[in-house]
Amino acid sequence: MQQETKRGLGLIAPPFFYAVLLMAGPLLAIVVFSFWTQDYLTVDRTPTIANYVEAFGDPIYRAIMGRTLWISGLVTLITVLLAFPVAYFVSFHVDPSRKSLWLFLITIPFWTSYLLRIFLWKVILGYNGVLNSILSYINVPLEAVGNATGILWMQEGLSAPLYSASAVVLTLSHAFAPFAILPIFVALEKIDRSLLEAARDLGETAVTAFIRVTLPLAAPGIVAALLIVFIPTVGDYVTPAQVGGPGGLMIANMIQTQFLGLNNAPMGATLAVIAMLIVTVIALATVWLARRLSGVR
Amino acid sequence: MNLIELRGIQKYYGDYHALRGIDLDIAEGEFFSLLGPSGCGKTTLLRVVAGFEDVSSGSVMISNKDMTGVSPNKRPTNMVFQSYAIFPHLSVAQNVAFGLRKRSDLNAQARMTLVEDALDMVGLDGYGARAANALSGGQRQRVALARALVLRPKVLLLDEPLSALDKKMREQMQVELIRLQRQVGITFILVTHDQEEALVMSDRIAVMFDGEVAQIAEAEDLYRKPVSRRVAEFIGTMNFLPATVAGEKVEVAGLGHMELSDTQSMATTDGDTMAGFRPETATLLFPGQKTEGRIASGTVSEVVYYGDMTYYDVTLDGCERPVRISMRNVFGRPVLDIGAPARLAWSPGAVTLFARA
Repeated sequence: MQQETKRGLGLIAPPFFYAVLLMAGPLLAIVVFSFWTQDYLTVDRTPTIANYVEAFGDPIYRAIMGRTLWISGLVTLITVLLAFPVAYFVSFHVDPSRKSLWLFLITIPFWTSYLLRIFLWKVILGYNGVLNSILSYINVPLEAVGNATGILWMQEGLSAPLYSASAVVLTLSHAFAPFAILPIFVALEKIDRSLLEAARDLGETAVTAFIRVTLPLAAPGIVAALLIVFIPTVGDYVTPAQVGGPGGLMIANMIQTQFLGLNNAPMGATLAVIAMLIVTVIALATVWLARRLSGVR
Repeated sequence: MNLIELRGIQKYYGDYHALRGIDLDIAEGEFFSLLGPSGCGKTTLLRVVAGFEDVSSGSVMISNKDMTGVSPNKRPTNMVFQSYAIFPHLSVAQNVAFGLRKRSDLNAQARMTLVEDALDMVGLDGYGARAANALSGGQRQRVALARALVLRPKVLLLDEPLSALDKKMREQMQVELIRLQRQVGITFILVTHDQEEALVMSDRIAVMFDGEVAQIAEAEDLYRKPVSRRVAEFIGTMNFLPATVAGEKVEVAGLGHMELSDTQSMATTDGDTMAGFRPETATLLFPGQKTEGRIASGTVSEVVYYGDMTYYDVTLDGCERPVRISMRNVFGRPVLDIGAPARLAWSPGAVTLFARA
């Protein structure tokens, strides 16, 4: 037992120090920084909540935070909604011997660098891009469609979807799809198929059996997918910087601007802490809600 | 009146012919078993009745309604699955109430009463609030039973329900299932590969091999009058000896000659065939013991002591393979060494002559 404990501690030690050094340490520094203030070229180390007051009071920060949550929420929703049918198909309708091939194919986008994929979207969404070329070639009346559907870039007629919040949503949804498919697939795989037969046997149709059995049992996977997509997209910095334009900037871009552009590290730290807290609250709420809904005890 | 009538059921999986023309009538209130080795098609047939498998041809009638092609949720059948298929995200009571949702004539109170009655019936009263995945194997099985029986189906289908339980629990559940079936009066169809289970529980048994029904009979008839060597081998133990039929005379290796009319005979033509007898129908004699019956002699090749029983393997004179004789150890037992000469008393009435394969 003693020996076991020692071995366990020995094994955990390197990653533990690594985590303290590179995770907990910087995190603590960020929290400490957030209670300081920037005094032109020097940092005023008197503890104060002035930054927090400003972050919550200034409409710019509120707007960017709101937009960040809106974009991330939309990306999460779209990604998980699109991922579920894929995962369901692979789990329920693909021959067992071909499932791993399907999963392998799903991960193919990871073979190219994320930056390359962003640039691909630029090519597709740009003013002279693939999408616009096709739309103008088949003579889609952009303004009319835009007015009818409320899609902003179409309403403006001559512009392109690139450099907008829509472009960020599109690019992120595409990038995170495999992350959402895999946990949902795993949850669906774990469902004993005789449970679905039992539901049919007890009087449910295929659709109601899905709602009463498949969906609640897939809930852990869906929650995992929601969080896996939502948490990193809130903090995403590259995508909005590349395809977001002024209307698609997110909180991470603002944090970067505070640290580097405006030389206001304490304010950047404050925004980072706030973003972290909001993500924590939303993540916990999601888990709690899913547990309530699916009746898992 | 027949509750279930299966006519000419054929089932193909690609090239594989799983069910080869099954005709079966099952009466209302009957405890019917489908017995056979794995891969014989018994589970497929049960799933055909439940509606989980389409038939390639043939028809399924339940209470005079054609159910061929009707989906499982619209059939008056409920199933107890081999894995029990207890919903892990629901409590015991929610599991039992699962199928009652469709019953719009019931209010919450009536539903609760039905659920409690059903749990009471299977001996799980007070378990309603428990999480389903915190139950033992035996308890899960009871929940599965309650969940099916609470809907009062016309037919309860049981797919190897006892195979996952240990021996003691299995024997207890066998008795409970019989009691339950008598109590509710619902037709039970049990699928099992365990011949003992089928003999203990069923009113009638259909023995299946290779997608075909080999014999349908009550337990005792099945044991005493198996129609083929294969059925005889599958149900209990039977000793086989080569035999020759010539007119009214039968010559059985090791036993001697007898009249054809004295035996249970399925041999229709003269020639070589197989004779069989059950281990308990012959008696090994104590040295010096006298008997009225006929006597065959041989050599003891193995003695296996089971406490209440002793099995003796005896190689009869003129035979190569030993026959097995079982003796109840009521007044002690003949103590015989391996290799010792043995005499066994037998009667032609216990001998079955099988038709040539």
